[in-house]
Amino acid sequence: MNEFNIMTISATGMSAQRLRIDIISNNIANSETTRTENGEPYRRKVPVFQELLRTVKGKVENGGVIVKEIYEDRSPFRIVYDPTHPDADENGYVKLPNVNVVREMVDMINAQRAYEANVTAFNTTKAMITSALQIGR
Amino acid sequence: MFNSNFVTLKAAMDVALARQEIHSQNIANAETPNYKRKYIEFEEYFRESTMKLTLKRTSERHLPLANKKVVPKIKVQKDTTLTNDKNNVDVDIEMVEMVKNALKYQTLSRLMTSNIDRYNAVVRGVR
Repeated sequence: MNEFNIMTISATGMSAQRLRIDIISNNIANSETTRTENGEPYRRKVPVFQELLRTVKGKVENGGVIVKEIYEDRSPFRIVYDPTHPDADENGYVKLPNVNVVREMVDMINAQRAYEANVTAFNTTKAMITSALQIGR
Repeated sequence: MFNSNFVTLKAAMDVALARQEIHSQNIANAETPNYKRKYIEFEEYFRESTMKLTLKRTSERHLPLANKKVVPKIKVQKDTTLTNDKNNVDVDIEMVEMVKNALKYQTLSRLMTSNIDRYNAVVRGVR
């Protein structure tokens, strides 16, 4: 166990939350995208977090968090009646991405708070180490 | 020469640092599905070990009582669930505990300094 490992743990937390905000931004930016490479509308993406444990010299150490995979939400697309849309089917319905912007905004605030919590943890660790460095001064 | 103050303070500081690691891990995994919060038990064992009765040696050939070393134990709280994804990290509680722990660490390091200062006073001679 060492003090720099603690800082790395907070760093993994920060980068995981930042990746999440990245994905959320992408979801919001593509909330109306009807064409993607595989021909169907854009699918909402969600990061899947997992606890990271490192084995150092046979001992299991805490390593923070890791984004295990970026999962594609399989829930159904939104269907809107708009015959003028170039991607409308013969009945005039358009498939729109399964992105709910309100939900993304809520997730974004959540991710921001989680990021800030990790920053606070990092700053606390830094203050602790600084106080240890003051010993004997 | 050095009294056990240093040893005790060092042990307490080590535990505070280990606690900080656990708090960081919990906060980093606050959104991880199925993650269960970890915590450290130490003071309970420590108190037990310092309050334990010691055996009196009536003969020099008796073996001395082995000084049992107290080690912090990392535990996982499995019985509660806070969110739908079976995670039980409460970030607010975690933050408060973390700040408390950090202040305790800073107090201990201040104590360590004053301990060293006392030795310095003796070595240099107080005038």
